[in-house]
Amino acid sequence: MSIRLVLIAFALWLGGCVTATVEQVRQTQTLLGDGDSIVVIGRRNRPNQEEAELDFIDCVSRKMSTGVDRVSMISEQEFRDAVFPWFEPRTAPLNTTDLPALLQEPVLAKRMDEMGLKYLVWLEGSTRRTSQGGSLSCTVTPAGGGCFGFLSWENDSSYEASIWDTHTAKTAGRISSDAAGTSYMPALVVPIPLIARVQSSACSSLAEQLRLFIQPDSAES
Amino acid sequence: MMAALTTSGAILLLIGCAGGTTQLDIEGDFPVPIMVKLPVALGIHLDTTLTTFTHAETFENSREWVVSIGPAQERLFSQLALGLFSEHTLTDSVYATPPYDGVLKPAIAEVQFSLPEQTRSDYYEVWIRYEFDLYDRSGRLIGNWQLPAYGKANQKNYSGTSKGLQAAAMAACRDAMAFFSINFSREPVVMNWLNSGMPDVQAPDSIDKTDASNTATSSDGRPV
Repeated sequence: MSIRLVLIAFALWLGGCVTATVEQVRQTQTLLGDGDSIVVIGRRNRPNQEEAELDFIDCVSRKMSTGVDRVSMISEQEFRDAVFPWFEPRTAPLNTTDLPALLQEPVLAKRMDEMGLKYLVWLEGSTRRTSQGGSLSCTVTPAGGGCFGFLSWENDSSYEASIWDTHTAKTAGRISSDAAGTSYMPALVVPIPLIARVQSSACSSLAEQLRLFIQPDSAES
Repeated sequence: MMAALTTSGAILLLIGCAGGTTQLDIEGDFPVPIMVKLPVALGIHLDTTLTTFTHAETFENSREWVVSIGPAQERLFSQLALGLFSEHTLTDSVYATPPYDGVLKPAIAEVQFSLPEQTRSDYYEVWIRYEFDLYDRSGRLIGNWQLPAYGKANQKNYSGTSKGLQAAAMAACRDAMAFFSINFSREPVVMNWLNSGMPDVQAPDSIDKTDASNTATSSDGRPV
């Protein structure tokens, strides 16, 4: 019994393999001063396949706000409520060129200033299952039960972050994060899942790269 | 006999599980819009047709979904008015007692919603068509306009149809609030009313008298 538990724990620790790639394009210099904050929000202006999951946005925001080089983050919902109705799906600016006109609204400009909002990170993308195969069957009898078979599936995460500088109303740059990995579930009596944490890997890489992009000095120190 | 009863009981149970009704309410708070407040003291009349509004739909091979949109409307319009107008109150009728400049009466004209399996997309979607009547201090209709609102919720973010539909309905209500906030003073009816100093509509009697004095008539009394 204890050997089986050890095996399961080892399998969970091992997991499936994930390959992650991060690319960035910088258009302007970035600097985060004292009291400046960042918000990561998803594009929701139309139904599409590239709408980032709420838990992914939350993951990126959480990872950026923790650790040694943490930055001050505003949660997506808190931001949307605080600047309502200017960043709703039908009213949010689509390009940085729309920002100056939007910031002509005195109450909005004042609210963003109060929040100390320096960078607005628009996030698009999703995690999808790209392929799957194998079969697994389980049987239960009065004498006991068990499973036999093998399943595998591949997940692909692809996200792009567009960083807007709200002070200059220009795009500071873009970061894309792609990750792919195959999960396995062999079953010889007990199914042992070897899960590739694809989305989690994409989240960690993107959050880390965003932090380095916005605070390049932290990488040098 | 016992076996037959058991079988029919099981069949009824299966029918009950396949059909049935699920009641959904719109939960959560609405934000206050951050706008430059209009210098208008407005009464807002939410009648029971609006505050008890429910929409029911039965989908193929599915149960009946009843979305209760009405009870959230008081919260929605209270928050909306708080950010938009210098003064407001919820009134019992369209007759505003001074110092109110006029009364707004919202209504829901139509609601539709769809599930991801219907549209073969990732989204629960809700459409709400609002109708607004604007009345003067004496309860006379100044004009009306419509506002279509749309909300969606990605099924990847919500576990189950109930939560997905609730989120989409909430998004549609927020969309209505956002669109109303930005476009209220741009609606031709409202813009004319505001620009002319929020006057009362002339009573039908006085309109008839004015029209009569300005209308030429033939010898037999017919207008020419």
